[in-house]
Amino acid sequence: MGKRLAVCAVAQIKNHPDYHDWRFQNMLLECFEPIVEETKVTFDMDKGIRTIITCSDDMFDARTISDNGITDVVGAHFRGEEKMAQESINGLGYAMACILSGHDDVILFMGHCKESQGESRRMISNLAYDPFYCRPLGMDYHNVDALQARAYMEKSKVTDEHLAKVVVRSRANGKKNPYGRENKIVSEKDVLNSPMYSDPLREMHIYPVTDWAYGMLLCSEKRAKEFTKKPVWITGYGSCMDRYFLGDRDIASNFSLKNAAKRAYAMAGIKDPRKDVQVFELSDQAAHQLPMWAEGVGIAEEGRGGQWIDDGGMERFNVNLSGGQLNGNPLLLGGAARALECYYQLSGQAGKRQVKGAKRAVAQAATGGAGQHQAVIVMEA
Amino acid sequence: MTTKKTAGVEDSYQIEGKMALPYSYFAGRVGSKFITTLRDQKKIMGVKCPACNTVYVPPRQVCDVDFTDIRDAWVELESTGTVKNFTVVRYDDKHLPRKAPFVLALIQLEGAGTPFAHILEECKIEDVRIGMKVEAVFAKETTQTILDIDHFKPAAEKASIHEVNARRKQWVPTDEPAEASTRKGGKPDMSKPVIITAALTGAATMRNQNPSVPYKPEEFAEEAYKCWKAGAAMVHVHAREDGGMATHDHARIKATYDAIKDKCPELIVCLSSAVGMGKTAEQRISQIVYIKPDMASLNTNTMNFGIVDRKTGKIFIDYVFENTFGMLQDFGKVMEENGVKPEIECYDMGGLDNTLMIGKQGIFSDPMNFNFVWGVAGGQQFRTEAFIAMMNALPPKANFTTCGVGMDQYPCIMQSCILGGHMRVGLEDNIRMPNGALAKGSYEQVEVAVNIANCLGRPVATTDEARLIMGLRKR
Repeated sequence: MGKRLAVCAVAQIKNHPDYHDWRFQNMLLECFEPIVEETKVTFDMDKGIRTIITCSDDMFDARTISDNGITDVVGAHFRGEEKMAQESINGLGYAMACILSGHDDVILFMGHCKESQGESRRMISNLAYDPFYCRPLGMDYHNVDALQARAYMEKSKVTDEHLAKVVVRSRANGKKNPYGRENKIVSEKDVLNSPMYSDPLREMHIYPVTDWAYGMLLCSEKRAKEFTKKPVWITGYGSCMDRYFLGDRDIASNFSLKNAAKRAYAMAGIKDPRKDVQVFELSDQAAHQLPMWAEGVGIAEEGRGGQWIDDGGMERFNVNLSGGQLNGNPLLLGGAARALECYYQLSGQAGKRQVKGAKRAVAQAATGGAGQHQAVIVMEA
Repeated sequence: MTTKKTAGVEDSYQIEGKMALPYSYFAGRVGSKFITTLRDQKKIMGVKCPACNTVYVPPRQVCDVDFTDIRDAWVELESTGTVKNFTVVRYDDKHLPRKAPFVLALIQLEGAGTPFAHILEECKIEDVRIGMKVEAVFAKETTQTILDIDHFKPAAEKASIHEVNARRKQWVPTDEPAEASTRKGGKPDMSKPVIITAALTGAATMRNQNPSVPYKPEEFAEEAYKCWKAGAAMVHVHAREDGGMATHDHARIKATYDAIKDKCPELIVCLSSAVGMGKTAEQRISQIVYIKPDMASLNTNTMNFGIVDRKTGKIFIDYVFENTFGMLQDFGKVMEENGVKPEIECYDMGGLDNTLMIGKQGIFSDPMNFNFVWGVAGGQQFRTEAFIAMMNALPPKANFTTCGVGMDQYPCIMQSCILGGHMRVGLEDNIRMPNGALAKGSYEQVEVAVNIANCLGRPVATTDEARLIMGLRKR
């Protein structure tokens, strides 16, 4: 067993389509106060929080250095503050590096996003592309995910019916999650008859616009008992960046996820994820990504995602009992949402979703269209 | 900026804002060249990594696989390509270049190693398929971006000549009366396949005239293969040294012949028994005996074979091409004895008459195969009535093909095709296309010949049919 860091407490607000009467500062404060209250952590410069990591996006906040809008409410003034501008899951990787290197031993990790405030989240992701070759064509994460869906579904024999199953299940699971976005419960038939969005993806195959914020208190193994009786451990992290141009990549190959998972598993000492891990939380921004990422993290056989769904793989491996990103988390925050669910499961606080005896969980998330950058963390009870 | 009250929370306000910052992006030196070439020359350029051979489009400065600097390794790509993946965007938004629905596709250009994204239009959405061939439509006005290709549209689907041939009934010889009787009536059998030959090099066409002239065996093989793919049943070959000089060296000629046969086993290869200027009779015929090709050229009269400025009459090269009666007789006999069918080269009516006269010895097996050659400085220019006179002078079962030097090439092959004869093209005879542009290779002229056959409704002969028609030994 290598070194590990403790998750001492987490807090979040309910995922919501539009917190029109909350500023994102308010949303963060709703997460900040319970953590301080629960753990009694202070901002003492010797013993308390001296480093804060935040996650937010300049484009979604429509201001550059988006963290500048929230440093006061997360207690970041007069101490170390760093912003993760990539998927939030990498904030955990960053916190891990910070604590395991001995740079600091207590970290508050917070993030926010109001997807509802921008006129179009598609326009925002269009700006993730270069202005010469891709942006003028209108490429955005949705139509690029759709290109991936076509390639992957062909490769792994995943059908429209399979995707309908994924959507129905996601919403049913989301219902059991007190923090889940409230979506209409639908039948497979409803999904199959719903409007096409960017072929082969339907509108219901894409996660809905969501506002959300979260907080986590992380610390070194040595100091965990000061803040909690029952820490959950982060024992592995890995990430990998694939190539930028869509045509350069095999977008159905899971290249970057396989590499990220391999690194995280090696760090956590996982030999066979199918046996060694009881809970999987995958960031399915589009429905086809659930079986695809399942292949990537090694619980579905390569090229057999469709069969894996038919064989009950989603239940057997306890995948996305939270509802997954497909039920609604903002872009960039899906990874933190996955990690929070893993925390609840491993600390026995998952309520109706609880997996009995869950000892180990894996959270995964991707940044960029069609999962260009991937990261995986391993958490343990 | 405007403010509006938030419904239900009347003391809360939302401020309406907009992120809008005019910005000038520098495309980089590599990107600039790509964009300006696209804009000014309507050419799509990629860069080819010499280490991993990947052709990247859009181009970039360094190959991210092996870190090779590829900023100057430009290659021009075709503006046609294949759809590798696509989505139908069915939502409208301000960042989109088209109103919904429109097709965003990953398109791999011919010559490129990876696909890139672009818009596909001018076809029904339900007809879009992975694998469909598309071609670029360039923008009328520049945007200095990838949208200087306005969009892609379906490319005119053209079945290859081999697909066409596979679908039709194969030609079989009939017991019809000899060719000559129908020929004289000017009513040739247009259902008889036309044999297209590509003369890849000759002895004198050099790379400074057309860079596609093959010198090395592997270059011959590649060019021959392209010609076969385009519809040629036969190639005519003068082997060259690496430096381009015509050679009588047996090993080199054999290497060239074998390379072609390895690459394209069914293709008929006709070697030259002229070889090049200043070769002895022994040098000219011994290589034929050594290699025993399917066919070999047989020249029919001693003649001037020079290079003369057609406009001024000025003589550049004054050379006599020696083909005595004795050589005609001996070469003809040796070829027939070795199972090599002669292609009888007639530069004028005299050559044809020489052959008929010496042939009375019974040297030549039926069917005899004649090639009417036009436009050699020393032979006759192409004239339609001269063509018909020569055709009418042929022995009954003979076949005829034709070739013309320079711009005689296209008129003479078209006439031959109309009259039931065959066609020879290639860089040996002419380095250009009908519009005067340099041919990309002999294969491009083969495409013209196929076009002529198509216009006249004549099938293009497969190699098996060509063997049957010309009486060659079986493969």
